[in-house]
Amino acid sequence: MESRGFDRVLETCAAWLLGILWILPLAFAVWTAFHPAEYQARFEPLAPLTLENFARAWHAAPFARYFLNTTLLCAMILGVQLVLVTLAAYAFARFEFFGREVAFSLVLVQLMIMPDVLIVENYQTLRKLGLVDTLLGIGLPYMASAFGIFLLRQTFKTVPRELDEAARVEGCSFLMMLWKVYVPLAKPVYVAFGLVSVSYHWNNFLWPLIVTNSVETRPLTVGLQIFSHADQGIDWALICAATLLTSAPLLVGFLLFQRQFVQSFIRAGIR
Amino acid sequence: MQVSCDARISRGAGGFDVSEIVLEGVSKRWGETTAVDGVSLRVPAGSFVVLLGPSGCGKSTTLRLVAGLEAASSGRILIDGRDVTALPPSARGVSMVFQSYALFPHLSVAENIVFGLRVRRLSREERERRLERATALLGLGGLLERKPSQLSGGQQQRVALGRAIVAETPVCLMDEPLSNLDAQLRQEMRREIRALQRQLGITLVYVTHDQVEAMTMADRVVLMRGGRVEQDASPAEIYARPATSFAARFIGTPPMNLARLADSPAGAVVRGSAGPALLPGRGDGLVAGVRPESLRLVDATHHGALEAEVLSAEYLGADTVLACRVGEEQLSLRAPGQVTPAPGARVRIAVEPGSLHVFDAASGRRVDGGAATAP
Amino acid sequence: MTRLSANVHGWLLLLPAAVLLAAFTHVPAVATFWHSLHTTPKGNRPARFVGLRQYETMVQDPVFWQAMWNNFLYALFTIPASVVLAMLMALWVNQRLAGRGFLRMSYFVPTVLPLIAVANIWLFFYVPDYGLVDVFTRVLGFGPTNWLGQRDTVLGALMVMTVWKEAGFFMIFYLAALQQLPPSLSEAAALEGASRWYFFRRVIFPLLMPTTLFVLVNAIINSFRLVDHIVALTKGGPDNASALLLFYIFEVAFKFWDTGYASALTMVLLAMLALLALGQYFFLEKRVHYR
Repeated sequence: MESRGFDRVLETCAAWLLGILWILPLAFAVWTAFHPAEYQARFEPLAPLTLENFARAWHAAPFARYFLNTTLLCAMILGVQLVLVTLAAYAFARFEFFGREVAFSLVLVQLMIMPDVLIVENYQTLRKLGLVDTLLGIGLPYMASAFGIFLLRQTFKTVPRELDEAARVEGCSFLMMLWKVYVPLAKPVYVAFGLVSVSYHWNNFLWPLIVTNSVETRPLTVGLQIFSHADQGIDWALICAATLLTSAPLLVGFLLFQRQFVQSFIRAGIR
Repeated sequence: MQVSCDARISRGAGGFDVSEIVLEGVSKRWGETTAVDGVSLRVPAGSFVVLLGPSGCGKSTTLRLVAGLEAASSGRILIDGRDVTALPPSARGVSMVFQSYALFPHLSVAENIVFGLRVRRLSREERERRLERATALLGLGGLLERKPSQLSGGQQQRVALGRAIVAETPVCLMDEPLSNLDAQLRQEMRREIRALQRQLGITLVYVTHDQVEAMTMADRVVLMRGGRVEQDASPAEIYARPATSFAARFIGTPPMNLARLADSPAGAVVRGSAGPALLPGRGDGLVAGVRPESLRLVDATHHGALEAEVLSAEYLGADTVLACRVGEEQLSLRAPGQVTPAPGARVRIAVEPGSLHVFDAASGRRVDGGAATAP
Repeated sequence: MTRLSANVHGWLLLLPAAVLLAAFTHVPAVATFWHSLHTTPKGNRPARFVGLRQYETMVQDPVFWQAMWNNFLYALFTIPASVVLAMLMALWVNQRLAGRGFLRMSYFVPTVLPLIAVANIWLFFYVPDYGLVDVFTRVLGFGPTNWLGQRDTVLGALMVMTVWKEAGFFMIFYLAALQQLPPSLSEAAALEGASRWYFFRRVIFPLLMPTTLFVLVNAIINSFRLVDHIVALTKGGPDNASALLLFYIFEVAFKFWDTGYASALTMVLLAMLALLALGQYFFLEKRVHYR
């Protein structure tokens, strides 16, 4: 039900007030990052813009390497997730195997008890596998995504069984059917999952902090943290610039593809 | 039925006020598109009026304008003599049954029905009285505690009707309420709705694309096309004297045959044929309409019959539908029993006297001189 | 498909995911319990079975109780606040208000930022005297406050930051649910004369219940799971005033290297999550309207 007249004006104002309040922190960070240090507290609209802070931040810590690490990490995690999750969801959706219900309940456990809270044990596991301080070590606990399995199973279940039968009549094997029928039909869900996964792992902090020790494996979030708290005096402009650098890809991606982003999260959330 | 001094407001048989609805030059435009174009019509108090037409003709929009769910771009809407054009839906004294029923999924049947009564803070006794009445009228006993998802389509439909009835508004609007039901249920509900309207005596405006519903239920049919009123008449009149060729073909099953005419020395003949003349005078630019039931097969002794060639025959049991070519035009007729002419066979068709309609080919408008008379 | 073929194929397809899930979720969960019953292995000394001793230590540990209390307060404030704001935002964005695109972006942007980045930005805000928050409170007549350095304000400061980050994310779920409501419902209600508030209270809010439940569960899980900002900003201080349970576990396991005790602490966390799962399961059966 939409509001009319005066009510509508009031609501629009309230919504805008909240909106402005909400964007303020980010706006503030952007202001500080793009202006020289003298203008931090002075908000003059004609103050000169500068990219110097970004340049300095870039060179003050190995951000290029951090970027590479994070990109590789997210790509690796997503790649493996897509495969594992597809196979598992297909199994749950179309095969009546012994113990299926129990297995699915066990999968759902991960929705509640995420690898994030099992840091103590998982670190021990990594140590035994010799995967401490590796990208693989960071990604491994997340590669079998219960969320992804849940989402895709739901999607696969909506594929009409007649398509199965039609494909079998044509002589398709199970895997071929999966590749030719199910995967293409689930494309929007894959996109949604991909966006959610990348967002999550790009921004993940605690586990990578625990697992990594060196610049070669450290992702952006951990790198940013170390950089911000190094004993070099608090240079806010620098920190803001570094912070924006860290958030930039997702932020810019979001601003450019707002509708797709929001639609993806919505699709992922419709359970 | 008492009639007050003001003839527009009367008491319906059900005991509550009924109102007349008047639309004056009402239009609705969205940017470039005009959905409703200067529609004027009058719905007499206590009558059952059907807005009929193909999809996109503006009938649903017109209904929503009356309801107040859309704001008219121009024109006036009067209910009960009051100008309601600027009023919100709840102030107009109308109730509505939606095509999708619009039942609240989380409320029980009883709560759905009395929803509006609760909003208006009616007393509990009054609510229960009205609920009981609606339950009895619609046969909803035993369903009151169920949720809409636990009901069949027909039952949901009745609940939607129930909600409209308990509102006891003088005007009730229905937007294709039967389109989601199967054929048999539709037939039953048609009769029920008609009976209900008569019993309660309310003013009912009903939108449908199904001409059978219109013909069987309505006191008046308003046929719409392209946002405009094509014809506004009783079912009998629309059937017997369609105002345009569009109306002629829309109403009646099977549809009326339309055949273009041509000039000939003897008069107007079916185009491409040699005669006989169907009408005196000019033929060019005119179209003749004749219903299949007004044509019959005759033998060679009959004078003034049309020569035709059979294109196809569909045996239906009680009769056979023959599609025949006369000249350049095609006519369908029904022959009783089983008739099996070979395709290409030549037959003779007689036109029942007085059953011809004549329309202008370009505008589609009826040209009087077509001798059809209302039964 | 024969039974044998279904079983073989099904399990083969599931195997890779199953192995990883078992290795990093199920087995560690059980192992946590096992290790919580032992001492921490140090150097050459292997772990010894000590029964419930780690738990005794835990019960007598004031920091543990402080962390539990903090978690409780933290959840108590951030969850209702984010959920209510999320619903409000979704209702606003769903209407055709002017500048809808801006609003949607503004509300959702915090979600795409790393919590670490958010923490740094808010650190800037919370700087005593120069930070934006103090600039604002100075206008209202208050003196400078060390938001992150004082016991009474630190948790609150973190809570505000969390609500800022989370509300937009939950808004999405409400938006999805709102978009699925048939528009004819509001029309029917309008015809009956229901005011907007009545319609919200009697129709929209009940119909959003499944979403609210889902959001609540997520919010509770997040309140246990997200401690990045504590690691970044306060390290649990001052004096454990901002320590949350997972952060304490992190400290015990990776700063003090007391994995036995950390396991016991983790068990508490797991127990609470298990309780949540049970609660959700039973609640779902009863209260929430099923379409």
